[in-house]
Amino acid sequence: MGFTAIEKVLARTSGREHVQAGDIVYPDPDMVMIHDGLVREAKGELDAIGIKQVAAPKKVMMVSDHDVLYGSDRAAERGAFNRKAAAQWGIEAFYDAGRGGHGHIFPMEQGSVLPGMFYFDNDTHATNAGAVGAFGLRVGNEISRVLATGTTWVEVPKTVQLELNGKLPDGVQARDVGFYLARQVKFGKVSVDLDYRVLEYAGDLDQFGLGARVALCSTPTEMRAAGVFVPPSAAVLKYCNEHAKRAFTPVFSDTDATYEARFSFDLSAIAPQVSLPGNVGNAVDVGEATGTAIDHAFIGSCGSGMYEDLLCAASFLKGRRIASGVRLFIVPGSERSTRRIVEEGLMQIFLDAGAMLLPAGCGPCNDAVVGPVARGEVSLSTATNNNHGRFGPLDARLFLGSPATVAASALTGKITDPRTMPADAALRDRMESAYV
Amino acid sequence: MSEFNWVLRGRCYKLGNDVPHAGDVIPASFVTGREMNPDVLIPHLFERIDPGFHTRCRPGDLIVTGRNFGMGPKGNGYVAMQALGLGLLCESTSVQSYRAAICNGLRVLTHCTGITTLCDTGDDIECNFLTGRFTNHTRKQTHDFPPVPEELRELIAKGGNKGWLASWWQTVGARQQA
Repeated sequence: MGFTAIEKVLARTSGREHVQAGDIVYPDPDMVMIHDGLVREAKGELDAIGIKQVAAPKKVMMVSDHDVLYGSDRAAERGAFNRKAAAQWGIEAFYDAGRGGHGHIFPMEQGSVLPGMFYFDNDTHATNAGAVGAFGLRVGNEISRVLATGTTWVEVPKTVQLELNGKLPDGVQARDVGFYLARQVKFGKVSVDLDYRVLEYAGDLDQFGLGARVALCSTPTEMRAAGVFVPPSAAVLKYCNEHAKRAFTPVFSDTDATYEARFSFDLSAIAPQVSLPGNVGNAVDVGEATGTAIDHAFIGSCGSGMYEDLLCAASFLKGRRIASGVRLFIVPGSERSTRRIVEEGLMQIFLDAGAMLLPAGCGPCNDAVVGPVARGEVSLSTATNNNHGRFGPLDARLFLGSPATVAASALTGKITDPRTMPADAALRDRMESAYV
Repeated sequence: MSEFNWVLRGRCYKLGNDVPHAGDVIPASFVTGREMNPDVLIPHLFERIDPGFHTRCRPGDLIVTGRNFGMGPKGNGYVAMQALGLGLLCESTSVQSYRAAICNGLRVLTHCTGITTLCDTGDDIECNFLTGRFTNHTRKQTHDFPPVPEELRELIAKGGNKGWLASWWQTVGARQQA
């Protein structure tokens, strides 16, 4: 009897020969992550009980990505509290504001999150770890229990397999695959429930670099997946080996593993997608949304904050100017990418185009702490989701698209099919080698 | 755990499918504001869909829902439900929503397939969370659903994550960390 990747990882960390979907286990994680938005609550809870220490400070990574700029007194106080908390708990892997970047991106880039790993995280988008074949599991406020005791209960998730066949056409990106998936499920074309499942990709995956693999993890998360797993390619393993900060052993599902469901997509049939306001599943082919005027745009977030995405944006923006009346925010996923933007010439392209660069982190996608929309405005972005009010008033209309679609649309001032706008070939070609 | 009351009996409040946590269970501002104080949350429980709910409900009352209750991982409303002594019976709820309910010490059952056909708002109903036995005294009917998993009973009985941690600290943690 074979096992899925998540079953193997949870068996290893739970000290068991094997586990299967539905079992409740208490894994000893390889890492524990908490972000700046929840430290105060977690520490307050532990302090009230009298728990002044965390069980394994060397395993804990504290990141600052949700509110980096401190646009309010409250945010500044929170940042100050977090710094004290890190010192009191003895957290060496504390990434303060302006350090590291987005917690679901930079740890993979720098080799802290590696194939076969398992970690607890307070945040839903820990699923990004699947881009390198690792698992991060959201436990929300229960992160306090993990910090204090080292673990908490986990129900082993079922796994659903999605086989991607063929090649994505030019101008269609990995984010489009996610929107397409959500659309197929929402409108009943595919009968699958991702609630607390691991979505495991299979098929022709070598075309997807690390950045694209991160994008593949994004939308399933909004469909309530507990995890996403992209079996690491030779190229991803090579990158991880060269950057690894610790030893790791990649994990793959057995060929006779038990999947709850299996389905497949023909990638060549997918067009660029635009998710209409309200839900990632409200996706349509871009042609059905073209012409809608936009006021606000941003490229970044857990789903599209990799250097590949920034190269994609630059390939459209080079030598062009953003439409009058549109503001475009570029939000790198990491301090490392911000540095590369400057070193590799992208910064000049963004400045010449009239785009605004925000510090590495979540950007507007976190509760509009920076770069919000105004009442009645229209936004097109690569945010993780477009639920009403995600980054501004409830009556703002939030559309989602791929980095290519957002960049092309920011230039024209209306939703635009990126296939109709030539991109700079040299920059586009660099996307493939963004993480080698 | 023997003193913990695993059987609730009271009035039924029935809800439909796909009730969002932020908005319908509790106003979204308390979710984004990470408000977890029951005294603050209680007056706003179901405020949008049933104003004044908190003044009418009584300890032991049971909220019965259709499919996909809560629609996500947030748990602020469960803090208010737990503090009011209510129970929750769902046709289905997302696992993260279920986790949030358990984490806040709420007596909750999910996978109660068909329960919305077995009761109506105002019925006198009872649930034994350890056995899964559901009784509608008004209709004089019983039905069995999956009970609270054994592994999670201690967590609920201690009042959820905070209570469990306090208990752990008193019995084990302080010695371990000394």
